Amino acid sequence: MPLAFEGVSYSYDDPKGRKKKRAHRSAQTEPAAAATGGARRWALHEVSFTLEDGEFLGLAGHTGSGKSTLIQHANGLLHPTEGRVLFDGRDLADKQAAQECRSAVGLVFQYPEHQLFAATVREDVAFGPRNLGLPEDEVAARVSEALALVHLDEADVAERSPFELSGGQQRRVAFAGVLAMRPRVLVLDEPVAGLDPVAREEFLALIGELHRTGLSLMMASHSMEDLARLADRILVLAGGEMLRLGTPEEVFSDGEGLRAVGLDVPAAQRFAEQLRAEGFRLPRALYDVESLAADIAAELGAGASAAEPAAAAAGPATSQQEGHHA
Amino acid sequence: MPDAALIGRYWPADSPLHRMDARAKLVMSLVLMAVVFVAQTFWGLAVCALFIGAFFLLARIPLGKALRSVAPLAFIVVVTALLNVFFVQGGPVYFEWWIVRISQAGLVQAAFIACRLLLLLLGVSLLTLTTQTLDITDAFEHLLKPLARFGVPAHELSMMMGIALRFLPQFAQELATIYRAQLSRAATFSKGRARTLLSLMVPLFTSAFRHAETLSSAMDARCYHGGAGRTRLHPLALSRTDAAAAGVLALMLACVFATNFIPH
Repeated sequence: MPLAFEGVSYSYDDPKGRKKKRAHRSAQTEPAAAATGGARRWALHEVSFTLEDGEFLGLAGHTGSGKSTLIQHANGLLHPTEGRVLFDGRDLADKQAAQECRSAVGLVFQYPEHQLFAATVREDVAFGPRNLGLPEDEVAARVSEALALVHLDEADVAERSPFELSGGQQRRVAFAGVLAMRPRVLVLDEPVAGLDPVAREEFLALIGELHRTGLSLMMASHSMEDLARLADRILVLAGGEMLRLGTPEEVFSDGEGLRAVGLDVPAAQRFAEQLRAEGFRLPRALYDVESLAADIAAELGAGASAAEPAAAAAGPATSQQEGHHA
Repeated sequence: MPDAALIGRYWPADSPLHRMDARAKLVMSLVLMAVVFVAQTFWGLAVCALFIGAFFLLARIPLGKALRSVAPLAFIVVVTALLNVFFVQGGPVYFEWWIVRISQAGLVQAAFIACRLLLLLLGVSLLTLTTQTLDITDAFEHLLKPLARFGVPAHELSMMMGIALRFLPQFAQELATIYRAQLSRAATFSKGRARTLLSLMVPLFTSAFRHAETLSSAMDARCYHGGAGRTRLHPLALSRTDAAAAGVLALMLACVFATNFIPH
């Protein structure tokens, strides 16, 4: 059940002119887009891709590149000014289709813990399933299931107020609230922003787990490390346009292009680029800290001399540090 | 619900009206409102419209933008006009059915009131379109200062007003996000049930408290201590432009006043 974006453009400038435009377009079709394109400022322009079933798509881009706008198209909260978004073959411009897709496409906004509202964790998580009109026992089952998925102890937290939990736990509750809808696609906007390093790692592990259960995922992030580690493919947005779409290896093979739009490659990859420029032979297309350390050690070991073990020890240490800074 | 447009949000431009002293603008926009009320005939309103149109031109605000800035209040104009249509009687009757009776005097009165209200709104929006909220609150504080002797906390009042104004767009945006987040969880707001309204209000209030606490810490950290002995980075100063504006306003008042003596 793929989620497909077909030539999606969106402009915040005149959301009211949109309806007129769309009615117009059904008769006239695509080329009209090019004619008006010059005059408007696009938040998204001509974005086309398909989120395949079970895929993990990373979404990278500088602040203001259109990530959040794109994400809100995924379940019909925003409608394209031009182009269309299809879920399960149905155009989300249709109100009915958008309504129905919202139970299948779970969307988690930035800082979702700021949107908690109920008196108890149980009530908050139950909000979605209740809106779906499910019977109470089914709602209760889904709440238990969702809390288990985010590794919260139901017996411990369910009856407490979400506001007395820690920040990381609150975010888990907010996540559970979306998971309780049993979505098949999960769309995350900066899911680990503002978390401490430990909570961050736990959360990324959790996201990885959810993906392995068969959920399709779309995740916007500023952290190239996280995207390189988790995503099957990465879509890079710059100024609302698609700059790159490909596997992490493909996308991160071009550090210059990414730096030109205010992004970067993962720190280990950047260090590998620099070493290559100095004449190191580093065969892999994409490096993380561990693989880089191993290859540097192998490279230095091959041309072994008295001075080099010290450098070999320094190499991984430096990249490790960079990894933490990034 | 999203993109809640605020009435007459500041429109940055470089114009004589933008450069005027905020105090002068505040006082003069009150006078401008009074002038609009002085007009008793359509001629008078036409003169007002001419002057206000000229002000907008001078302020480099496109007319479409100006009209859109008062659009959220258009319903007040419409409701008032309708009330006049139905309740003011006199002259030939055009339409009569049951207790509804539309007469010439009603229609004329309705058109008059609608035009007057529209001009009033445009006049007020002229102030907010050309003056940043911080300057308005500063001006407000200055004008209240004489009352400080009688124990009116002028500075605190204007600071509260400034903060409230500053947070309006912020809360509008947060409300939009909360609304969308709950739409994403299959919430429906069309039925307008109290429970769903509560689910919007609780996060909005917790966020308001969070912002208030952060802001008060930030003010503490900068040693904020209220009004006594504060100086300003950009002191307000009256200039020749303000004098000229006062002159133009006086001219407008005279013209409008004169129109009241045109026989009709």
